[in-house]
Amino acid sequence: MINIEIDGKLVETERGSTVMDAANKAGVHIPHFCYHKKLSIAANCRMCLVEVEKAPKPLPACATPAADGMKVHTHSEMAVKAQKGVMEFLLINHPLDCPICDQGGECQLQDLAVGYGGGESRYTEEKRMVNPKEIGELISTIEMSRCIQCTRCVRFGQEIAGQMELGMANRSEHAEIMSFVNSAVDSELSGNMIDLCPVGALTSKPFRYTARSWELSRRKSVSPHDGLGSNLALHIKDNKVCRVVPVENEAINECWISDKDRFSYEGLNSQERLTRPMIKQDNKWLEVEWTTALEYVANGLRQISNSAGAEHIAALATPHSTLEELYLLQKLMRGLESSNVDFRLRQSDFSFGTKGAPWLGMQVAEINSRDRFLIVGSFLRKDHPLLAQRIRQAVKAGADANVVHAADDDLLMPVANKAIVSPSAMVDVLAQILKALIIQKEAAVPAEMEKIAVGDAASSIARSLASGERSAVLLGNFAQQHPEASQLASIAGQIAELSGAKFGFLGEAANSVGGYMAGAVPGDGMNAREMLENPRKAYLLLNVEPELDMHHPELAMAAMKQADMVVAMSAYKHHATEYADVLLPIAPYTETSGTFINTEGSVQSFKGAVKPLGEARPAWKVLRVLGNLLNVAGFDFETSEAVRDEALGEACKLNNRIENIALKVSAVNAAALQRVTDVPIYFADALVRRADALQKTGDAATPCARLHGDELQKLGLQPGDTVRVAQGDASVQLKVSRDDRLPPGVVRIAAGHPATAALGAMFGELSLERA
Amino acid sequence: MEKIKEFFKTFLLIELLKGMALTGRYMFARKITVQFPDEKTPQGYRFRGLHAQRRYPNGEERCIGCKLCEAVCPALAIKIEVAERADGTRRTTQYDIDLTKCIFCGFCEESCPVDAIVETRIFEYHGEKRGDLYYTKPMLLAVGDKHEAQIAKDRASDAKYR
Repeated sequence: MINIEIDGKLVETERGSTVMDAANKAGVHIPHFCYHKKLSIAANCRMCLVEVEKAPKPLPACATPAADGMKVHTHSEMAVKAQKGVMEFLLINHPLDCPICDQGGECQLQDLAVGYGGGESRYTEEKRMVNPKEIGELISTIEMSRCIQCTRCVRFGQEIAGQMELGMANRSEHAEIMSFVNSAVDSELSGNMIDLCPVGALTSKPFRYTARSWELSRRKSVSPHDGLGSNLALHIKDNKVCRVVPVENEAINECWISDKDRFSYEGLNSQERLTRPMIKQDNKWLEVEWTTALEYVANGLRQISNSAGAEHIAALATPHSTLEELYLLQKLMRGLESSNVDFRLRQSDFSFGTKGAPWLGMQVAEINSRDRFLIVGSFLRKDHPLLAQRIRQAVKAGADANVVHAADDDLLMPVANKAIVSPSAMVDVLAQILKALIIQKEAAVPAEMEKIAVGDAASSIARSLASGERSAVLLGNFAQQHPEASQLASIAGQIAELSGAKFGFLGEAANSVGGYMAGAVPGDGMNAREMLENPRKAYLLLNVEPELDMHHPELAMAAMKQADMVVAMSAYKHHATEYADVLLPIAPYTETSGTFINTEGSVQSFKGAVKPLGEARPAWKVLRVLGNLLNVAGFDFETSEAVRDEALGEACKLNNRIENIALKVSAVNAAALQRVTDVPIYFADALVRRADALQKTGDAATPCARLHGDELQKLGLQPGDTVRVAQGDASVQLKVSRDDRLPPGVVRIAAGHPATAALGAMFGELSLERA
Repeated sequence: MEKIKEFFKTFLLIELLKGMALTGRYMFARKITVQFPDEKTPQGYRFRGLHAQRRYPNGEERCIGCKLCEAVCPALAIKIEVAERADGTRRTTQYDIDLTKCIFCGFCEESCPVDAIVETRIFEYHGEKRGDLYYTKPMLLAVGDKHEAQIAKDRASDAKYR
């Protein structure tokens, strides 16, 4: 530690830190633009010039290392003169269009110009003009002339997003920020560049001209999308969410959020919002009062319960529902004496993880300090954009990332070892890694593993894991949705135990842990798969769009169509109009209070930020009234907090321990094509599916059947051909595209999109023929 | 002694005569009453009357919807909605001034970066129904179009003091 004096204040700071760090510690504000605590030092805006005693010239505080006994003056005559000079230069080319600039009112340049800018410009020549570039549907660069070349966006791309999509071309007056020729910014974290831009050069396209910063009221919330539970600030005008920005929380999302969190708000104001309760009578939808609709539901359920038995009622909820909703749903079902309730819609193997809630196995922030990773079955970047970012930082700091997966998607970080195999071979690969580890640890190889032949990739992954001190084995969404998920989880758990690694499940959705905590799992009842395989007479759907959210859409639709009664609680008018009997409009996360438990087990409650649209009501209130109408005991909650407290009082513990699963490596049928299914980032839940700007991005393109080039040749197909993809009895027509990052013998087809909703399970064999 | 003085004052109606004298003086003094509407008082070029929205000489409306006037208005009399016009410029889709709320402080005019919203010399306007004094964008533009010559002249006279 060294001592440094800033404006007469003595500060102790670490050796190697900069004057800027010391000033932040001392609470002294030094004006700056290019400096950002999460990005590398560029020192190109020169705004942070300060006077250092015994230095002949002013020095940039962000790039000057603090030295023992250094005396710094940030507001001396010399420093202020330098800062004012820099400001005058910055303003030379900056347009005077603050009144129409979306950044106006929250602009760092505007704020600092008040303190350091002159009243009048001495510059009378023409200002520089930069032609706008088209860089996608999310970020507007129409006003690129406002850029002050701080390069924060460039550094963000290189360092945080892992992908340099923007760069600075040319020099001096001609320098401008641009993407590579004609390419858009596709990063799933790109929206953060809008926040980083200290001026109005990069602004949000969907937000453009919607509101000025002082008109917006800010409400805290929590992301309803991926398992991270990013902290959000909703900006609201006239009872409408106008934009979403991150709230800094170093333990969870740092100061970033993914584009999904940022731009999904457009779905809240979608035309498809359901605003009145509706009942189907004689094949016609009638808008009715809430009381009528709820009475109808209660009577229907009572009738089915009396005639066929309560076990003929089933409830499905998405893991994007709040803890309160999930808790009341399962309480209602159990009150009706049916345990058929589940929220693990995309899972197909349920024979593990029932002892507690599977979770990340560590704190989110601990990811950064891991030195070895084994990531099993995860489309990491698209499923968990910010967790991927943390792993990227760890890898940059020297960690090894090892991947076992069925698609070699670019993780935008160096991957030490990878085993890219077809889905059915994943268990085998994991078993190989386990065996290699056992051999390396010189333990006895169990009899059932004798026959397993250890490949090169597996042994180098095992070596990498064994050499680590702080390893982590993480099971992604794909692995959890795998039909042999219990095998994968069990072997991965053993690998973690043997290598002293932390073992974790990457939570698929905002409440993947919360669902277990709420008890929204069947226990002795039917799980999500069984409810469809043994069609029930009545289904309660909470936020679910069965053809898009379930593991087996074809089966789900068949079950819905045969049911006597389907009650769809949804914020949207969706496909349910074809098979449901009642549609109940419920409020999305901005319009209800609730709680999400993220993948590390943090309980994060939030309040409703705007009034529910139309007649929509928070789902926990709807379920409460339904409970009262059905005379189920214990439904006298007055607040969502009361529901939460009761739910958490009974909640299970976080537990990743998997026991009593015997190793079984099934034979692989190499002849048939296997389906690899990803849930693309912008198809993953009902809200993002209706966010217009996100739906125009490359990640939301209509799914293709993607195959390896060799496979295409074997089938005699060309990219762009239309094929009929048949899976069991189901088939759809899709375009073919080439993807050499896939292993041979697989076809990658996305789920969550209407174009593939008629297909069967997310895994399994399928065939292609030219249409 | 005082009492006697007071008695004579009252008895001789001196107060009354004093009062009448004052009345009498004004009876013959120069009249200052203005016979409105036949006569009018002189107005300064900074007079703050009815609002108007101005246009540029080429007919383009000046207002860019920056909402500074809305933000500064102490009476919350202004309501603005903005959208991007087809040509990509920022324009108001709604610009309303509720004249029943307005206190004619002139802040809107002061805050406007493009001199779009101005207060004119017009003060003889009225409404027959309550809603009549709720001025919308077309109404404000119409006022501006009609009185542009005077408005421009007044701004020019004031320019040297700014």
